[in-house]
Amino acid sequence: MSGIPMEGDVPATIAPSAPVPPSAPSPGRKEEFDWVGSFAPSIPIGDDAGRPWRLELPSERWKEVTLTLDRALHHRLASFWAEHWTDGASRLHTLWMGDASCRGIHLITVLPAGNAGVPSLLPEIPAALYFEREMREMYGVEFLGAADRRPLLLHYQHSGPPMRPGTSPPRDARAPFAFPITEGEGIYEIPVGPVHAGIIEPGHFRFQVVGEQILNLEVRLGYTHKATEKRFEGRSPSLGVLLAESVSGDSSVAGAVAFLEAVEQALGIEVSRSAQLSRGLLLELERMAFLLGDVAGIALDVGYAAGAAQANFLRERSYEGLEMVGGSRLGRGTLAPGGLARPLASDMGTPLAETLALVARGNEELLEHLLSRPSVVDRLRGTGEVRTDVARALALVGPAARASGLDRDVRRDRPYGAYREVAVRVAGERAGDVEARLKVKVAEIAEACRLASEFQRAGALDSAKAPPPLPARSAGDGLGVVEAPRGEFLIWVSVGEEGTLRRVHVRDPSYLNWPAIEYAVKGNIVPDFPLCNKSLNLSYSGFDR
Amino acid sequence: MSTHDPGSRPDAPAGGPFGTLVTGTYPEGPADPVGRGARTPLHQSPRCEGTGECALACPTQAIEVTGRGKGATFQLDYGRCVFCRACVDVCPTGALIASADFELSVRRREDLVVRHGAGRAPPTYPVDQRKEAETQARIQRLFGGSLAIREVDAGSCNGCEVEVSALTWPRFDSERLGIHFVASPRHADALLVTGPVNVNMRLALEKTFRATPSPKIVLAVGACGISGGPFRDSAEVRNGVAPTLPVTVFIPGCPPRPEALLYGIWLALGKLEQRVVQGELPTAASGTPKR
Ligand code: SF4
Ligand code: SF4
Repeated sequence: MSGIPMEGDVPATIAPSAPVPPSAPSPGRKEEFDWVGSFAPSIPIGDDAGRPWRLELPSERWKEVTLTLDRALHHRLASFWAEHWTDGASRLHTLWMGDASCRGIHLITVLPAGNAGVPSLLPEIPAALYFEREMREMYGVEFLGAADRRPLLLHYQHSGPPMRPGTSPPRDARAPFAFPITEGEGIYEIPVGPVHAGIIEPGHFRFQVVGEQILNLEVRLGYTHKATEKRFEGRSPSLGVLLAESVSGDSSVAGAVAFLEAVEQALGIEVSRSAQLSRGLLLELERMAFLLGDVAGIALDVGYAAGAAQANFLRERSYEGLEMVGGSRLGRGTLAPGGLARPLASDMGTPLAETLALVARGNEELLEHLLSRPSVVDRLRGTGEVRTDVARALALVGPAARASGLDRDVRRDRPYGAYREVAVRVAGERAGDVEARLKVKVAEIAEACRLASEFQRAGALDSAKAPPPLPARSAGDGLGVVEAPRGEFLIWVSVGEEGTLRRVHVRDPSYLNWPAIEYAVKGNIVPDFPLCNKSLNLSYSGFDR
Repeated sequence: MSTHDPGSRPDAPAGGPFGTLVTGTYPEGPADPVGRGARTPLHQSPRCEGTGECALACPTQAIEVTGRGKGATFQLDYGRCVFCRACVDVCPTGALIASADFELSVRRREDLVVRHGAGRAPPTYPVDQRKEAETQARIQRLFGGSLAIREVDAGSCNGCEVEVSALTWPRFDSERLGIHFVASPRHADALLVTGPVNVNMRLALEKTFRATPSPKIVLAVGACGISGGPFRDSAEVRNGVAPTLPVTVFIPGCPPRPEALLYGIWLALGKLEQRVVQGELPTAASGTPKR
């Protein structure tokens, strides 16, 4: 719907996926409204309740409008993607989100076939770097003036941009890739990976070091790239859930919920309150297990094995909790469009409550044990610092952002599903070091236990199997934004007239957070790299897809 | 949870860091039934009416139904299955039920395919039983007491990594069985490979294999490692480990639960028998399918 925007949640021409409760217009929403309104009527403005404001820009105004947005609203770049039309035109999308209550801004521009490209958003918007590199190699979109033109995910040469239709598989020839070089007396390089030493994912790290001190780190990713976004295309939404779970398997539930939120918005599918509560319960159980793994990793890397064992024991109990209620340890295969794939185990109320209480108690004790040991604290404090200004420029999300003084959490800022009913206490620290990230994570485990209990009491286990979804329309596009354990997980889908997925864009939180590690390690000693790494816990598969 | 004191589930008091023993006994003892989801599709042909709905609901095309009605042929590949239960949920006749079987690992890929119905021609494969027995005896003699594993992620979604690392946590604690994960292929007896083997990791996987001293075994883990799983037939993946490396044992799951990994490792070592033959599950054989 295009037209002049009006304040507040105007009645929708298209029913939103779930009722949006009337909220007091916050200052953030007012600012968005004023900024969007300043472009009317020269730019068509889309205003569907429950969705971000949508502005369709002529490509000549792409960069100018983006920069005014950046200056006027202090929104962060949440995502940036392309889609391709059969006539050869590309559509570019950026999505901007604010902290605290906001609707978000969605900018779209069309590049006709054979266009010369658009101006790069760099250097003004540093967070755009990876997005632009990916769009250049995947869609062949040119970003004029960009300095870094290296490939991002593709290691081998392709006959053409692989996301365009009709391109053939990669060739045997490797694509050239240049690492930055630092020269000087006593400077040496440490190459690490792609196969690492632990049970973790593959990626390549190139350190430049003098003595013990890290001068520079360049990360090369893409090693787990499997063209997941392309695999979505042509599938029905129900068959897409598995792929959304497999973006980053340790956040299976978050991936599935983000995907389903997007599909449900696109097609106007209603989800019952009890199914929303069940999704909330699964999301919080997943968060508990995930963050306990981070705590265990940090404890292990400072050589505090007993603490790591305790955290891993609690983590195991959290996965047991997930399996008790949903039948799968990682919560896979439990969700479907319109609700759940099947009801949760309603007879597991008592053991679930026991598990939640046990994890909550154990987690509290764990923090005491960790922070009362000077040998532990000594390794954590001041290590791997990510300053607030760096975190803001990189548009970090999740615990990594919250430990660096940025107050952002989707569960509170743009509540979805069951989070519309609860007040989420958002953790925060300012120091931006490993200690701060540890404290944030421990606080978030406690909050996850509390929210899970709240959802359980509200009836999360009493949900029924989703009735066959009743789409209000057969095609459309939609956005799902979920707070995953690593931060904002975002999926945008476009469903074609045949009811199959036409384009799915996946933005794992790690896509934004990966550059943080290159900053965090600067000036640290090499043996502290694992701590920086574990405390940021970045997903390789989420980035590479 | 099965413990050294079967029957009592030790809840660490107050969740204290040095609480009671929580280690399970599997695979020496029985697996812990607590909370174990029944997610393995089990097909009972007498009830099958060949509607083919299961095949349409399957996200990995693990099921093929040829023909319709009572005479239809039903085929299910546990190497492609991700244990999502969708087929069980849609089966209108109850021919597909969910069992809690997890001891699904096999030495031969063909053994993961079950085929029922008219025109049933069980897959045939050449078996040199004497040679196989010799290999098994040798593996057990060499690695039966202690096995050093190098894990290689060849493009996994990292779900499999969660369960592989769970082997090193308190409850499963694979070190008690002499199974440890080492940092370098130079120290390894076995490669445990997850992921569909994507184009960008294939070279690193081959190099890691070459860097591992012989004799060595290869474990292909998860739907991805066996068949490419959810990513099968993507231009960027090679549909599993077998096209690239010689595989000793295939461990199904998405991801395989930790007990399933332990079973697969012990199967590779010849310490346990293979239970799935030509795709028939152990519960189907014993006639006591669980729901
Ligand atoms: S349980 Fe396995 S066979 Fe059944 S639908 Fe899921 S993946 Fe397919
Ligand atoms: S088998 Fe499943 S869990 Fe394992 S890597 Fe593949 S998609 Fe992920």
